[in-house]
Amino acid sequence: MRCRETVIHVTGRVFALVSPLIVALLTLPAAAAEPPEIVCIQCHGSMPGRIGEPVKLWKGSIHAENGVACNACHGGDPKDAANAMSPARGFLGAPKETAIPAFCGRCHVGVMKDYLASAHGKALGKGGPTCVTCHGNHQVVKATLDLINEKSCSRCHSYERARLIRAAMQETEGMIVAIDTRIAAYKGEGTDTEGLEKGLFAVRNRFHTLFHNVDVEMVKKESAGIQGYLKKIRDQLTALDNSHKKRKLAGAGGITAMLLLALFAHLLRKTYD
Amino acid sequence: MALLKRLIDWIDVRIGAREVVAKELTGYLLPRNINTWYSMGSILLFIFAMQVATGILLLIYYVPDADKAFKSVTFIMNEVPFGWLIRLCHTVGSSLMVLVLFFHMLSVLFMNSYKSPRELNWLTGFILFTMVQGISLTGYLLPWSQLSFWATTVATNSVGAIPAVGQYLVEFLRGGKLVGPPTLGRFFALHVALIPAVIAALVGAHLFFLQRTGVSTPPFGQKETANQWKGDGYHYENHPGGIPFFPVYAFEDVRSIFIYLACFLGVVFFFPNLLFTRDAFIPANPLLTPAHIKPEWYFLANYQTLKLFPSEFLGLAVQGVAMTFLALLPFIDRGPERHPLKRPLFMVCALGGLLLWIGLGVWGHYS
Repeated sequence: MRCRETVIHVTGRVFALVSPLIVALLTLPAAAAEPPEIVCIQCHGSMPGRIGEPVKLWKGSIHAENGVACNACHGGDPKDAANAMSPARGFLGAPKETAIPAFCGRCHVGVMKDYLASAHGKALGKGGPTCVTCHGNHQVVKATLDLINEKSCSRCHSYERARLIRAAMQETEGMIVAIDTRIAAYKGEGTDTEGLEKGLFAVRNRFHTLFHNVDVEMVKKESAGIQGYLKKIRDQLTALDNSHKKRKLAGAGGITAMLLLALFAHLLRKTYD
Repeated sequence: MALLKRLIDWIDVRIGAREVVAKELTGYLLPRNINTWYSMGSILLFIFAMQVATGILLLIYYVPDADKAFKSVTFIMNEVPFGWLIRLCHTVGSSLMVLVLFFHMLSVLFMNSYKSPRELNWLTGFILFTMVQGISLTGYLLPWSQLSFWATTVATNSVGAIPAVGQYLVEFLRGGKLVGPPTLGRFFALHVALIPAVIAALVGAHLFFLQRTGVSTPPFGQKETANQWKGDGYHYENHPGGIPFFPVYAFEDVRSIFIYLACFLGVVFFFPNLLFTRDAFIPANPLLTPAHIKPEWYFLANYQTLKLFPSEFLGLAVQGVAMTFLALLPFIDRGPERHPLKRPLFMVCALGGLLLWIGLGVWGHYS
């Protein structure tokens, strides 16, 4: 009995020593906290009408998706509610119509250049469209070919030329979207897609310069060149596909071999039993 | 063959190898009604060896530095020949080790093999179980991805709920106020040196206790299923007329290991991302909290339990009590009967506990 008591006593002490570790190991990730909201959203988000509306629109934008918040465009101090809209803290407010391209162009430098060189840019201040006319001001959507559509273009002019440009770019856009999806799928599986992403980023930027071009022949010629680069990226993805197929074949072979060996061991066990 | 025989003779005259083989292998008899569940221990030994081997191979290229860890893992997965295979074997192996460990513990539980005189076998096995969870948790941080960084942040944060010493423990685990490079250093040391050494020592102790008590007879197909040991003296449970460990049961072990390998390769080659989320392939960013971080499948029940209680401390305390109860089960459950069907209350509690654990895990996954 004394021996058993000693065992229980000793094991109890051992457990007392390891129990904090057990507790530590059992402490698990609970729901991760959301990052704190900036003061702009805290105040404007709860306001009604046109003062609160931009927050709702921004939440569905590509800017929100990429963590580009109010202060990135409008300036100010997003951490200090009292001085958030103080010019001394860099608050810019909303730009005048003619200042919009420069306002957006602080980040989208190349796009601003393309816009200013286009027929749209040349009409700035003379009734021509600014960035927000097509892209929206707070619910800024990802720049795709969908932005060129009859409803949008017909607000200012006939859709005919825009239709030709869109048709010329449609195939390239489809290739970009398909390649982007495939790269994202590989990235989500741990494949190093940095090189592919950089390649696609460069090609996509080159393609986007055509978005502000209204010369149909030039758009067609450039699109063909861009497709050449996209095919190279697609070939790299096809090589990855083939490599993954080979892995699966090797895996199937390995599994079959293991099952045959298991059967062999089973037969040997029965033979000796 | 003659050369081989001469070599064996040479060894035998020096260390008595044939005597050891006769005693520990061909003469080591096991109960005739032994079943496949007894192979789980051998599978676990095999997995542990594989984890050590693949871990050493990963160490060749892995860099335990917060600035380089993620890139080094990406390099292993994409540039090192068969690096992807070695890393997947290590990650899938760690998860399957926990799964097989569960099977091993459940078989011991339902066959009531934990009962006296095998309290120490159970206790060392239980501590091994916590150590395996510990090595999985520390290994989780090493890729330094968004998933590993934030999972570790919240996991170490929860320790702060322990009264009085909680905050000190959090800082001790992290090596600072927040998860950062010192945490990676600590977890790396724990993962590759301390915990494997403890596991190896515990495996040794576990096998030693098994060797000293003898293999337990399964309670199934027996007339007398009550525990015969009275606690009045040391007794080795031998099995006269039983089946020899070598070659008969050794082949059963080998068969089980090959079946395990077939399943393991199935996951590695056909479902390699079963255990990963997209956050596992994004480098750690202390300034960007992912929307939802879920723990590994074997921690999901604990995760859901923590969420069910209004206070984190209460959730931890309940789990601590449950774990302590399980660890001390052989000291609490002293009844001699070993057949589970003759112990309806035990069966209801054990099955209920198992279903509760699975239910909480599924809830945690979808919550």
